[in-house]
Amino acid sequence: MGGSLLKPVILVGIVYLILKFVVPNIPGSAPLPSSLIFLYLMLTTTGIVIFATLSGESKDAFWNPIQRFLTGENIGGLQMLRYAVLILFPVLVGWQTYGSTATSDAPPAENRTIHPAPPGEYTGLSNPVSKSPENIMQGKGFYAAFCSPCHGGNFDGKGPAARGFSPPPANFSDPTTIAMLQESYLFWRIKKGGVGLPIEGMPWKSAMPRWEVELPDEWIWKIILGEYDGAHQSPRTWE
Amino acid sequence: MAAALLLAGVSPGMAQESVAVRAPMVKGTLPLDDPNAAVWSSATAATFPMSPQVHWQNRIQEVTVKELKVSALHDGTQLAVLLEYADPSEDPDDAAALEFMVGDKKAHFAHGQPMAQVEGGPVNIWYWKNKDGKGVDMNAKGFGTLKTQTHQDVKAKGVYANGTWKVVFSRPLITEHTEEDTQIVPGGFINIAFAVWDGKRDATSGDLREKGSQKAVSSWWYFRAEAPPDYSGYYYAALAVALAFGFQFVLIRKLRKGQGA
Repeated sequence: MGGSLLKPVILVGIVYLILKFVVPNIPGSAPLPSSLIFLYLMLTTTGIVIFATLSGESKDAFWNPIQRFLTGENIGGLQMLRYAVLILFPVLVGWQTYGSTATSDAPPAENRTIHPAPPGEYTGLSNPVSKSPENIMQGKGFYAAFCSPCHGGNFDGKGPAARGFSPPPANFSDPTTIAMLQESYLFWRIKKGGVGLPIEGMPWKSAMPRWEVELPDEWIWKIILGEYDGAHQSPRTWE
Repeated sequence: MAAALLLAGVSPGMAQESVAVRAPMVKGTLPLDDPNAAVWSSATAATFPMSPQVHWQNRIQEVTVKELKVSALHDGTQLAVLLEYADPSEDPDDAAALEFMVGDKKAHFAHGQPMAQVEGGPVNIWYWKNKDGKGVDMNAKGFGTLKTQTHQDVKAKGVYANGTWKVVFSRPLITEHTEEDTQIVPGGFINIAFAVWDGKRDATSGDLREKGSQKAVSSWWYFRAEAPPDYSGYYYAALAVALAFGFQFVLIRKLRKGQGA
């Protein structure tokens, strides 16, 4: 077979192992999607083929072993491997074809946007209620009465009424919910409820009440103060 | 290299879990009146958590039924859906309902109430109450619009034993009333939601504890009547395997000729 073919195979193997196991462990990195790994391996392979076929000499050194392997002439002990490759390749093609044509058995994927953009009139409003201990306490009282059945007495989204709803009620102690949002955003979501969401927020699934029907604006602003204080979070601000 | 590509090509799939009720197609008559029929064992039951209805007034903070088991079967023309849930007492006002969207428009799970930025559609509600002993086919598009249809296609039968209600709803998969009835095409996923009322009366006041909007509810989940098995994926795969073998054969023949020359 010759080392000229062994080296590329080892090289592709090493690149795969690095992408699969080393890159995800670099701080600040994440596991690569399989499609991206596939793309990188294709690029590596293409690079190897270009490099190996730069000169007529290296081209022969690269292709001749492949040709000999495929035709099975004078390859001795590799004959079994050749049969394995000749059987595995069609099987792989068949498997990929099946995977891409078979009808899916899974329910439709739902790409719900969790924090869709609010209507223009709800951006940049500031809380007209002062952040005094009395107002925070009053807000927490309203929260306990109106919000805690779903969002939980601990602001963790685990209230007694939460379990049947999908999507689940927001967990305010999670740093990716109210800590990422401005007070005006919360005002919109509380006032207009689930039915006020745009289409990408899937309003038909949300159990969030439209509180404007039942609560005055001032109470909603106080609830917002109580929520941030109780969940130990601060509203997002633009410096 | 093939192995490496193979490994890279195997994706773990999205981990998002979606629960669906799946109605397998069965031969023979469906057990429309019998929740205890043996054929129900051919359906895999899905379990859904239930919440007190807190979305709109009048709310309720605590409900009896916290979990609902749902199975379904169809025979190509009829659909039967079986609800099973624990209820400590049999009461005349015990009731249960299924809810579906109608047509292409999305509908809010709370009786298809209007949405601010999305034009919603109506919902179709199949309702059963113990003392009435029948199914009622209804529509709603917003609060206060619940209406019994003039043409009734839904049947329902409840059987209570050992602290458990078993309620079978049935209807033809397809009806003539496409504006009001959900149409169930085997193979396609549609949305389904549930509601249950414990008809127990309060010992002191005599009032019903759960009634009207004071009920146990779920939000939307998925439902599918399974289509007859589709083998086309296997045919395509077999064709691809044959083509790949043919390609190898031609390639090797060509290489051998080249070497001989």
